[in-house]
Amino acid sequence: MDRVKTGIVGLDTMLNGGFLPARPYVISGPTGSGKTVLIAHFLLEGLRLQEPCLLVTLDEPPIEVKSNMATFGWNMDRLKILDATPDVRAHKRQRSVIDVGTSLDVRDMEDVTDIRQSSQVRALEVTVHSVQKMIKQEFSQHLERTKQRYKRIAVDSMTALKMFSMEGQDSRILIQSFLRFLAELEATTLIVSERLDRKKLETEFFLGRGEIRMHKWIDGNMIRHAISIDKFRGSAFDDKMHPVTIGDKGMVVALDAPSQIRGTSPEGKPGESLLETRLIDEVSNVIESVMRQIEEAHRRQIPIRDVEVALSRAMLAFQRRNYQKAMKIALACDSQLRERIAEAPPPPPVAMPPRPPVIR
Amino acid sequence: MIPAARMRTGIAGLDKMLHGGFVPGRPYIVSGPPGAGKTILAMQFLREGLEGGERCLFVCLEEPPNELKINMRAFRWNLDDLDVLDANSDIRRFEPTPLLEISTEEEPAKMRSIGERIRKTPDFESKEVSVHSLQQLLKTLLVKKHYERVVIDSMTALRYFCMREFEEAVTTQSFMRYLAESKVTSLLTVELPDESEVLAEAFLARGEVRLHKLRDETGIKRFVSVEKYKGSSHDDAVYSFDITNAGIAINMTPRAPTAS
Repeated sequence: MDRVKTGIVGLDTMLNGGFLPARPYVISGPTGSGKTVLIAHFLLEGLRLQEPCLLVTLDEPPIEVKSNMATFGWNMDRLKILDATPDVRAHKRQRSVIDVGTSLDVRDMEDVTDIRQSSQVRALEVTVHSVQKMIKQEFSQHLERTKQRYKRIAVDSMTALKMFSMEGQDSRILIQSFLRFLAELEATTLIVSERLDRKKLETEFFLGRGEIRMHKWIDGNMIRHAISIDKFRGSAFDDKMHPVTIGDKGMVVALDAPSQIRGTSPEGKPGESLLETRLIDEVSNVIESVMRQIEEAHRRQIPIRDVEVALSRAMLAFQRRNYQKAMKIALACDSQLRERIAEAPPPPPVAMPPRPPVIR
Repeated sequence: MIPAARMRTGIAGLDKMLHGGFVPGRPYIVSGPPGAGKTILAMQFLREGLEGGERCLFVCLEEPPNELKINMRAFRWNLDDLDVLDANSDIRRFEPTPLLEISTEEEPAKMRSIGERIRKTPDFESKEVSVHSLQQLLKTLLVKKHYERVVIDSMTALRYFCMREFEEAVTTQSFMRYLAESKVTSLLTVELPDESEVLAEAFLARGEVRLHKLRDETGIKRFVSVEKYKGSSHDDAVYSFDITNAGIAINMTPRAPTAS
């Protein structure tokens, strides 16, 4: 059977030639261990072979993915990107939330120029359902347009999908269904997932047809990387852990040297950093909105001294990384300002130019 | 006590460890982390049955049958007469649609007739497998086809995807009870996390064969142990094993696993 090459020579050798086609695989590892670089190689290899490739991004906005890839000097213009990053959350209930599924955003990498701005009235929220719908829609549209099926898909990341899009639902069944969905598309899929708890059995790890694990640890004053295959159904594979270097040409796997973890592994709670980044984004967005309203209030001479004091408390909490508290205060400031600005007398009209004399 | 006739597992080393094989008519567990070799072990168990002319059933809950077929090809086992029941749930619908419960529809397919490509979820209805429908179906099938060996791959998938979370413990118990009453020799695979604790299924089964996976500087080391075996003496040493072209081969010189 033909294998699907990853584009990383050493890894293909470890995989006995590559992945088995039309199956979903899991790439796991802590943040910064090279998971995204690996999927970039995988997609780049597909593009090189003229295969249609799709990247579903849930973590990073496409523009950031693009600039990250540019540092390796890779041209991925023909890559299709499906932007499933959620908008800035609307904290006010009355704002209507729409599923991303209803506004499809698939672009060529070439056309990605800016971050998508959250709409002022409606916030896009991502659910597994909407992501599935978007992929399906893109699949059939692409088939219609080009008479070609997508051969390679990468989902970056399952962790984000689980954390932000499966609230209050039975995530195990949703993941089963999502993986079934990917398998039925008959494309080779890589799913990025952080292993959040080693004692817990996460669904995608036993449903995935294989797992490639990225390792990262601190050895003295060096950060070291390594790669290993931990599961690969239906194929023999090299089960040793091999050192990995990530340089300006991308990822290189050194096959001649086995690797062993020495020193301390930072794999404690890999999910934390992702959550933190997301929280920082949300809080700083609210703070920015408050500051804009403060300016407006100043222009219109509305008294808001107390709100300014409260905002400084929010900033302090933010600096101390107490994000929950910062968010609470910032939101209170936001609603206070809205009220006062709404109640204040309308701004004095701009001086009108004198009317031209009416000629009778 | 006169020892009952034993049922061979298809793996010489494991038969030795079990002092002859499984006591027929009971449910057993093979547990281990993903990638330990559970499915291969279970398949060897069925192949042994097929060679002796027994009727065997494989219930797929983790991977589609077409992939299973491709995966097993490398071993060159003759599995043509194996019955394979596809109990994978379809893609879930988010909007309400008529659900097909498998008990009314499904029939196992012979391995030889399984195609290369995955079955597609139909556009307007989804097959959803619940533990009740599966149990119902097994009941009918056991009467109709007189299976001697049944593999459920995996019990974990059945728990995760076919039961409601709050009734998991009770339903698992009742399913195991059902298997015991049906007098078929069954082997259930159970997924373990990397660092595991004791499982409910292990209490309920008559025996547990556990596969261990450890990583050291030379690669992945695999070990097998018999954790529990009711009604029989057994070998309680831990042995290493390899997955070869001929399946699982246990290396009978005992050696305790050493974690890296």
